[in-house]
Amino acid sequence: MAEIRIENVTKVFGDFVAVDDASITVRDQEFLVLLGPSGCGKTTLLRAVAGLGMADAGRIMIGDRDVTYARPGDRNISMVFQSYAIFPHMTVRENIGFGLKMNNASQGEITSNVEEAAELLHIGDLLDRRPNEMSGGQRQRVAVARALAMKAEVLLMDEPLSNLDALLRLEMRAELKRLLREVKATTIYVTHDQIEALSMGDRIAVMKDGLIQQVDEPSTVYAEPKNQFVGSFIGNPPMNFLRGKVHMASDSVAVAIGGSEIVPSPELRDAVSSFDGRAITLGIRAENMGALNAQEANTVRVQVDVVEPLGAQNLLTVRVGDDTLKVSTHPTFPVSPGDELWLKFPADQIRWIDPDSGEVIAGGTS
Amino acid sequence: MSTSNPSRRRSFTPYFLIAPTLVFLAAFFAWPMVQGLILAVHDDEALLPLVAVASVEGDRTGELSQGAAVEILGQQGNTVEGELTSDLLTEQWFRVTAVGTDGAAVDGWAPETRIRVRDEANDGTPLAGTVRPRLGEGAEPLTDVLAEPNERAEVTGSLDDRAEVEITQVTVLEVWFNVRGESNDGATIEGWAPSRFITTFESGEEGRVDRGSDGEFTLRFVERMFNDRFFSPALRTTLLLMAIILPLQFLLAIGMALIVHSRLKGGSGWLYIFSLPMGMSDLAVGILFFAIFTSNGLLNSILDLFGLIEEPQVFLSADTRGWIIGAIVLAELWRATSIVMVIIVSGLQAIPDETLEAAELFGATYWKRVRYIMLPLLKPSLLVALILRTILAFQVFAVVIALSGGEIVTVLANETFRQYFSLRNNNVASAYAVFILLLSLASSVFYLRIVRTQDELASR
Ligand SMILES: Nc1ncnc2c1ncn2[C@@H]1O[C@H](COP(=O)(O)OP(=O)(O)OP(=O)(O)O)[C@@H](O)[C@H]1O
Ligand SMILES: [Mg+2]
Repeated sequence: MAEIRIENVTKVFGDFVAVDDASITVRDQEFLVLLGPSGCGKTTLLRAVAGLGMADAGRIMIGDRDVTYARPGDRNISMVFQSYAIFPHMTVRENIGFGLKMNNASQGEITSNVEEAAELLHIGDLLDRRPNEMSGGQRQRVAVARALAMKAEVLLMDEPLSNLDALLRLEMRAELKRLLREVKATTIYVTHDQIEALSMGDRIAVMKDGLIQQVDEPSTVYAEPKNQFVGSFIGNPPMNFLRGKVHMASDSVAVAIGGSEIVPSPELRDAVSSFDGRAITLGIRAENMGALNAQEANTVRVQVDVVEPLGAQNLLTVRVGDDTLKVSTHPTFPVSPGDELWLKFPADQIRWIDPDSGEVIAGGTS
Repeated sequence: MSTSNPSRRRSFTPYFLIAPTLVFLAAFFAWPMVQGLILAVHDDEALLPLVAVASVEGDRTGELSQGAAVEILGQQGNTVEGELTSDLLTEQWFRVTAVGTDGAAVDGWAPETRIRVRDEANDGTPLAGTVRPRLGEGAEPLTDVLAEPNERAEVTGSLDDRAEVEITQVTVLEVWFNVRGESNDGATIEGWAPSRFITTFESGEEGRVDRGSDGEFTLRFVERMFNDRFFSPALRTTLLLMAIILPLQFLLAIGMALIVHSRLKGGSGWLYIFSLPMGMSDLAVGILFFAIFTSNGLLNSILDLFGLIEEPQVFLSADTRGWIIGAIVLAELWRATSIVMVIIVSGLQAIPDETLEAAELFGATYWKRVRYIMLPLLKPSLLVALILRTILAFQVFAVVIALSGGEIVTVLANETFRQYFSLRNNNVASAYAVFILLLSLASSVFYLRIVRTQDELASR
């Protein structure tokens, strides 16, 4: 039983706040991906969990134990460092077995665990090499194997696949996921690759500038981002954002965008109407818009700039006033650059965003 | 495992870059050093060659060793025409005319040592002078004038002190002696040699080869060194000091370096405190510790203060060699540990923080991190420090001098000094220097070998 509870953790370097009041609960045996752009504080938060660099405020619990002040070696965790941090003077075998040796495991256990971990990471034939005789990717796999061989309850991984080629990364991604399910470790996995996050995580914690933005399942984070940053950071292409202006129509509220009127879904009308007379941002994913040749209700007229055929879909870059949008259409839909189209915005796929705070406007408390 | 690749191109750029340095080293360092060190096996003045006629071109009749007794059979002054050869002793003789002691006119030759020139022509030719007075008791009162420019020539008259003379002719002579002596192989040989290589005794009939003009390679000085009664005590003490000091020093230095390393984040105060002794010369440290251990020194004052002794103890005397060794060990530890520490600290700082953090995370306690991570990664630094300290330990000198006066406890460097200064025995001093050099070299090679074989074993 190793639930990780990060409670209001803050870490400050001088007067720079690297992690700002972060709270995440990672459930027992869960695979949580910590996702965010470079420099947002992912490593710093992970190190705080590991006990390397004490948190300046807050509390960290592993299982039922408050480990805020426990030494790293006493937390029953293992970790893959972003810089690998493998021991240059030891062979791969000694590196992988180091944690077990320090914890006084029997020689037999060390040998079997080391070989098992090495097999998993396809470095079984490198066991007698030294780090300076290996490629960067091989070193990284040694670092992962070293962490796995410990069979600790908590596994912290700081971008463990960042140095592998695309193919190997794809393979390792699946393998690692299967593996972690097997070892039943509670895992925090740091990455800045959103595809990795979406495909591997049980849940994703999105971080920006030291602040946790959203912690949710991948599908939720993708479809229902909490704010404009999450929407723009996750998904390829990222979520589209359009400026509009809210005004009260005869019977209900409407948003003027590119000469058309978009009516919010019924449960959001109250929330949106509070913006009456002010600007609002509309967020929608490329695949959620319908492209039409004629005007309908809730459609906006757009100009096609670029057409990118991607096989399963065509990705259009279109213009609405000053904003550009990415729209994906079925490959059979006839379109060429310069055409005019009507885009349909299904009301239930639209995220309305407060342009001042960037927060997605929640559905009225209905 | 390095399979040599024959087609690999060699880069000469580094050699070009260091060429000026090599030339500089060769000209200003290696050459004089070789000149000095070769003294250990080469006696520059061992042999005096004798020649058949009194001329540098004469055929060799044999060689006499330095110090050999000779009979002086004759003497010859060769007139030097034109350029003087610097190789020979020359004498200037004046032909003088004057009124002699007996009132008669005298015309004859006198050496420059007897005549003071008082008047010269514009081109420097002496024209007139006076007879130098003879000083001292028992000196021959009168100056003889000779028929020829040769001390054995017939006396033609005598001059009073300070008599005025006219100089009519000047000649320069190379003086050669015809000598007979016993050569190294026991044969009696006879021949001519320039006079400056021979000391004559009072009688003028006998003399000794003062020094030779030919060198000879010899192990004499090396043997003299090995047979020197101070050699084995000096070697033993040097090795003993090394065996006590180095292990203690490295333990201390590693401890200090670990303290400095773990505190560096909080400030480098410890580093400054620990490296303070590096700023003091070894002689100063020796004197400092002398001041502590001397009979009215600090140690006695403290012992007295606590009432532990009745009267001042004598720590540094011939009867208390142990105390002197102890004091030297303390002084050397105090003085030279910091340099080892600085090398180790720099080695520690080269270890990435994350490496140590990883070890900590994987459950290594502090001591296990020291044992399994820091020490192995420090191996290159430790090796550098070990070689440096071993070489310096062979040279230990000033501290020993300060604490024992170089009499009671002696070390190799002190023997070098004694041979050179007190005994004026440059060759034996040089032999000691070469011995120290070889010991240093051998120890460095030894350490490097050990490390290499260890690495080979490890990578197997
Ligand atoms: N020891 C430190 N001293 C000062 N600032 C630091 C220190 N460590 C990290 N920072 C700063 O804290 C911020 C977060 O760093 P962190 O390493 O956690 O980023 P990250 O999210 O892991 O980025 P990346 O994806 O590039 O690894 C960065 O802006 C960094 O400059
Ligand atoms: Mg990082």
